[in-house]
Amino acid sequence: MYRLLATCIKECKLLIVDKTGIAILFVMPILLVVIMTLIQHEAYKSITQSGIPVLLVNNDNDSLGLSLEKGFKEYSICELTIDHGENYKTSADIKKKMVEGKFLIALVIPKNATNVLRSDVENIMNGMVDKTKVISGNPDQVKVEIIVEPTANKAFVVAITSRLKEFMAAVKTKVLFEIMSKKIADLVDSKEKMKMPAKDFFLYDENYAVREGKKTYQPNAVQHNIPAWAIFSIFFIVLPLAGSIINERSEGLFIRMRTFPGSYLSILSGKLFVYFIVALIQFSLVLVVGKYILPLIGLPVLDIGTHLFPLIVLTITLALAAVGYGLLVGTIFNTPQQSAVFGGISILILSALGGIWVPLNIMPHFMQTISSLSPLNWALMGYYELFIKGGDWFAIQFQVLKLVLFFIAALAISYRLYKLKIRLY
Amino acid sequence: MTENACIHISKLSKKYPGSDLFALNEVSFDILEGEIFGLLGPNGAGKTTFLSILCGLLKPTSGEVDICGYSLTKDLESIKQILGVVPQDFAIYPTLSGRDNLMYIGRMYGLKGKVLKDRVGECLAKFGFDKNGDEPVKNYSGGMKRRINLIGGILHEPKVLLLDEPTVGMDVQTRAAIIEHLQELNHIKKTTIIYTSHNLDQAELFCNRVGIIDKGQLLRLDSPQELMKKEGCADLEEVFLKLTGRKIRD
Repeated sequence: MYRLLATCIKECKLLIVDKTGIAILFVMPILLVVIMTLIQHEAYKSITQSGIPVLLVNNDNDSLGLSLEKGFKEYSICELTIDHGENYKTSADIKKKMVEGKFLIALVIPKNATNVLRSDVENIMNGMVDKTKVISGNPDQVKVEIIVEPTANKAFVVAITSRLKEFMAAVKTKVLFEIMSKKIADLVDSKEKMKMPAKDFFLYDENYAVREGKKTYQPNAVQHNIPAWAIFSIFFIVLPLAGSIINERSEGLFIRMRTFPGSYLSILSGKLFVYFIVALIQFSLVLVVGKYILPLIGLPVLDIGTHLFPLIVLTITLALAAVGYGLLVGTIFNTPQQSAVFGGISILILSALGGIWVPLNIMPHFMQTISSLSPLNWALMGYYELFIKGGDWFAIQFQVLKLVLFFIAALAISYRLYKLKIRLY
Repeated sequence: MTENACIHISKLSKKYPGSDLFALNEVSFDILEGEIFGLLGPNGAGKTTFLSILCGLLKPTSGEVDICGYSLTKDLESIKQILGVVPQDFAIYPTLSGRDNLMYIGRMYGLKGKVLKDRVGECLAKFGFDKNGDEPVKNYSGGMKRRINLIGGILHEPKVLLLDEPTVGMDVQTRAAIIEHLQELNHIKKTTIIYTSHNLDQAELFCNRVGIIDKGQLLRLDSPQELMKKEGCADLEEVFLKLTGRKIRD
């Protein structure tokens, strides 16, 4: 125990004198979390709040055009500019402005669009009422032009065009209803006209699938990014840890250590313990930043949920997994350069697979299957359970188990490799 | 086994995995308590293998080693406690100060509190680190690093000290100072010192007895004076070349 303590003191001193190392271990995760959250927050904001610059050129100036104007004005994600053909007479005028970056999407409603719609609907109704008239199979079409800036986010484009189609359908229904009620009134010789109900027939209630007892969740960049980038940073502990193990092994220090009374494994345990504590401090710092610093720069407050015990357990197992991986890399490779290159790239790959960079649900199915092999994914799923879905201990137990098994496997493989390697010394 | 033997080596052999050759081949001899014993040999003779077995880094293929009454195969932990090792490479952390390095090594040998602090302070002062013991080792000269490396091996006052070429690459002054300290340690504390070196002049002056080893076999074992007399040579270097030949070794 005393030797373990001695090794811990030595490792702490080694870390303290390495100012660059300290910066990498503690400042890098904070910077990473703040920057990535800010970037992602802007993306979230542009989807959920105002932001997408949309140009609506209303050449119709009748029911259809005016309904679309009204609808898009109320659509919060748009930063709407309305033109009635004064400034943008042709597609070329619009494209010129879009190339300059003024708008991401432009919608052009043609002249007489409402009249064409009315005449089409009236023809249909006449055909239905008067059997001598034939309903035209090819009604006149209203061509609405949609111009998209090439770099525009596909999701924005889909959101706007869906909204456009929704408004168009509503207007079409309204026109159909008006004409139909007029025809019926004519048929029954009534002066009373049916009125279109002011309210829609359907109500939409959108909410999130969180666990029972969890208060309503609103998606935001903080809830997603804090755990994701914290996990990523913690796994980067592999670089200094593996480098330190290799440096000691390749210098005279390894000989001295193995001639110390007691097992070399107790010395190694001291090193792993210090890095384990470093990983826990890293995560705690990131949580503090999410809770107290990010709100100061206009970002939402991190909600860590109400289940503190599972959070602590999950973080401990995450730190163990990262340290175990560092030990494994440090045991496999013979030079710090090899371990740095492999360690860095492997973490990038594991994080990409694990859903740190992009959400898993947009990955192809086979990639999603592979991603379940990444320990970063296990940890991320655990934090999502706690921070987003309101899960408790039972919801994260498999993630915890997998992380623990990963740590044990890393230890066992490292031990076998170490035994093989020391035969060569 | 000699009556006052500190280390008893009996039919010690070592064959590395995958090799057909013996690095050590049935070597048997005793090292006496309180003597300074030099193990001399050309490159690849088996010196480092011998020292590595003695300090428990390597397991012998066959044979027995007893150190101060403890069997190497059965009581390695007891042996580690009474053994001091000074590796040829610097076995110190360059970013830590000399004092922090020694405090760590002392703790690993079980030294604690005031005893540890005093012992580190005493050693630093004795080896000329009064003013720069708290500076990072990376700022030290090669000679200073060698001295810190040496202190790491003697801090816990071992009964047996193993040194693998402790004065290699040093200037004359540092070499002389280290040899003086080792002689003092041997004289006052009766520490048994086993060292390997290519510096035969130094071995001639420093060692009570020397063993000349080549191709895993002990060729001669005696005091430098007796060896020179028996082989009819003017100095130890001549004896060495006579026994091991002039062919350059890898």
